[in-house]
Amino acid sequence: MATKRRGGFGARRKRNMEVKAVVDLGADSSDDDLPEEVTFEKAKADAVRSMRNALETVKRDKELLKEKRRKRQELFQQQKKRKLLSEDMLEEIESAYTKKGKPLDSEEQEKEESEEDEDSEEEVVNARLKESYKAVRLKDQIDANTRQESASDFIRSRLYGPGTNRTTTNQMLSLKNKTGNNKTAAVQFVNKNWGSENKGKAEKLKKRWVHSQTVVAN
Amino acid sequence: MGQFKVHRVRFFDFMPSGIRCMAFNSKADRLALARLDGSVEIFNFSNNYFQEKVIPGSDSRSIEAICWVGCDRLFTAGLNGEVVEYDLERLCPKYTLDAFGGPIWTAACNSEETHFAFGCEDGSVKLFEILPDKIQFERNLDRQKGRILSLSWHKSGMLIAAGSLDVIRVFDVKSGHSVQRILVDRGSAGTSNKDCVVWNVAFLSDYTIVSGDSAGKVQLWDANKGTLIKTHLVSKWDVLSLSVSENEDSIVAGTSEGTVVQFQLLSPKIGDMETQWVRTRTFKHHTHDVRAVTETRTAVVSGGLDTQLVICPLMDKVEVKSSESVLRKVIFPHRSLVSCAKKPSLLLFQFPDQLELWRLGGTDTIGKPGESLPVTRKPEKLLQLKRKGDDHICCSTISECGHWIAYSTVSSIRLYQLQCDNNNISITKLPKVLRSAHQLQFSADSSKLFVASEQATIHVISLSRSECKHVHTFKPKSGSSAPVHLLAASADGQWLTSANRHCEINVYNLKKLKHHCMVPVYNSLPSAMAIHPETNNLLVTHADQQMFEFGIVDKQYTDWSRKLQKEGLHRCRLKWGTPVTHITFNPQAPSQVILHDTHMFCIIDQSLPLDGLKAQFYSQLTPKDTSETDKPCKNNALKICSKYQPLLHVNLLEDDWLVVVERPLIDIHSQLPAPVKQKKFGT
Repeated sequence: MATKRRGGFGARRKRNMEVKAVVDLGADSSDDDLPEEVTFEKAKADAVRSMRNALETVKRDKELLKEKRRKRQELFQQQKKRKLLSEDMLEEIESAYTKKGKPLDSEEQEKEESEEDEDSEEEVVNARLKESYKAVRLKDQIDANTRQESASDFIRSRLYGPGTNRTTTNQMLSLKNKTGNNKTAAVQFVNKNWGSENKGKAEKLKKRWVHSQTVVAN
Repeated sequence: MGQFKVHRVRFFDFMPSGIRCMAFNSKADRLALARLDGSVEIFNFSNNYFQEKVIPGSDSRSIEAICWVGCDRLFTAGLNGEVVEYDLERLCPKYTLDAFGGPIWTAACNSEETHFAFGCEDGSVKLFEILPDKIQFERNLDRQKGRILSLSWHKSGMLIAAGSLDVIRVFDVKSGHSVQRILVDRGSAGTSNKDCVVWNVAFLSDYTIVSGDSAGKVQLWDANKGTLIKTHLVSKWDVLSLSVSENEDSIVAGTSEGTVVQFQLLSPKIGDMETQWVRTRTFKHHTHDVRAVTETRTAVVSGGLDTQLVICPLMDKVEVKSSESVLRKVIFPHRSLVSCAKKPSLLLFQFPDQLELWRLGGTDTIGKPGESLPVTRKPEKLLQLKRKGDDHICCSTISECGHWIAYSTVSSIRLYQLQCDNNNISITKLPKVLRSAHQLQFSADSSKLFVASEQATIHVISLSRSECKHVHTFKPKSGSSAPVHLLAASADGQWLTSANRHCEINVYNLKKLKHHCMVPVYNSLPSAMAIHPETNNLLVTHADQQMFEFGIVDKQYTDWSRKLQKEGLHRCRLKWGTPVTHITFNPQAPSQVILHDTHMFCIIDQSLPLDGLKAQFYSQLTPKDTSETDKPCKNNALKICSKYQPLLHVNLLEDDWLVVVERPLIDIHSQLPAPVKQKKFGT
């Protein structure tokens, strides 16, 4: 849309030229003066220039984006290369695979007890990595474990969490004792392993008390 | 008969694991049970409820649902997101398949046994197709928001009911869309802030859905309209398990407080055609949460966190007064977890994750019969051997001299050599032909190890200080591949017998290294077996409490055995609910045989006459000098002592010492998880 001009200059412009031109008349010119005379050629040149500028900026932006993308792709490729084993290591492993595993068996026998029984092929790969190290994809493991843990947390909280009204085994056994036919001693006195922390605390308290009594006496 | 000094051992901290889920296969009459530590047990209900097979668990495996397909395929699914199929001949997992839906909460098979549905943590119901040798993922039904905790197929296989948090959804299997959404109310006002978890659903063939939820309600819904038919408030705590009988006339529900409630389809008025679900019976056999229930034709089987399996007969279904009509509680496994080295008085205890070696204590005082003597030398724990890897230990043994220990998991066998003087222990490598064993046994002179491996083969390994050599492999003549669960070696090193799960007992000649003969097959599974050190007679007890003696050299049953079958031992012998797990002999009195099961041990003197079923039974706990009780007792071949119970192992050491390993139930109960709080009047 062409902007309207102030004053009665009239629109002697060629309508079939689709030009997006915005002409700023300047805010400091007063209303009484005549508007400046702008020739047609000048206006046309201005419009063409601005259009070209716009196209150029668009092109530049595109190129910049392309450059960025290319750089990022290269970076990823480099990282990937670094992740994989180096060429010579791969060659070594391949050559070791084709050999029989006999010389490595004797090596295994000399190793300590903590060594696991493994096939000779695995032995080669593991010989590269140190003993008792295993290569796993951390991403897979962590994901599966967290989900399994959240599932077991859910069931634990539904069965034993707050609001489930659970009591201790001691209570249950003492209830059995009270309602049973033979009323015997409570489990904590019969079973020596039961309530070991409480008994330990009681012992310490007794020692402290005896000590304090002897101090008072002396 | 015999006077013994008794080592009463209570330091075996045997702790069974709680029962998580079970499935009954009515065609094969077998129950598969899964425990919280990942182990699977199979009970043969027609064989006197004997624990036929045990597949050891694993640390990485968790089981939430178990399902039979056909007669012989068993599948489990667990919170690690994997579906496992088990090989019931080799007693190990056949393969595992990841369902890629997160932790799997439930699994159900349709009535035609063509498809499996798994309910996953991410809210999707996954359909797998069952192929003859594996299962394959087919498709997902529409994914929902909450986790799917329970599933049930309709008999036609067209609809699936899925229970989730606060809602039950009915899916149409063909399209995969949810056709009905039923909102479950949260129960009484006190629990309204926590969402109601629908722990179980069952889809009946008349389009009624039965659901058990965490508010303690068992509700009946109409699946076509999505409306509630009836609510039964069963308990204040969760209803954790639900099961429908095969002909759909009885529903059993297990709750967190240990009660099992039965509903039956009855007509409220006699002669009326309309039937309703009416709550009929309540059983309280458990102290902790009941997490699995199922119903057979004549009994209700329940199991829970108190680790006991209870089989309660329904008296209106039981026709004949037989072993079916007795309440049974399976507390201990039906095999021995304790091995004894007699000469150095060592005991080897088998735990799922470790082995413990103890030396028995001693006393220097002599006392009168019936007295308990003070312990002057305390029993000491010599060794605690932890297993390697995730799989649990399935069998272990110690040699008679106490210098060799062997144990096996599903993936490896390990052999250790012990030097007791300086407490040195070293590991010896076993030949590569062995991968895992179902049963291990050392020979009497500790020079050979017998390994019962897969496909019923027995490998003979000769042991020496420096290395082990594989000597021979025995294969059963019948070609059966059932796993071997019992091994017995004779004292002179000439004979070896093995018993497998098809009730076959094979005798092998070790000197000539070939198969000697096979004992005539008796239909019941052998539960314990031993060879007499002097007469070389094989004594076998079976799951239905029958006992046979087979002469190995003559290849036929002995006269005593035939006499026993004719006259029978006393009738109270046949009432025992638990099978005999160990047989041993008295070196001082060659005619005496000592057997034990969970609740008693008995001595049978083969030289004394058998009284038969009808005679009065006298039992002596302490020898009395009076002559009146002396005479009838002296002539009876069977003596029972039930002073020490529950028993895990009884064995005879030298010098008339008897070692009795007990595990008081209260010690097991004191280590169980927290029960629910119940207020009792007057306490």
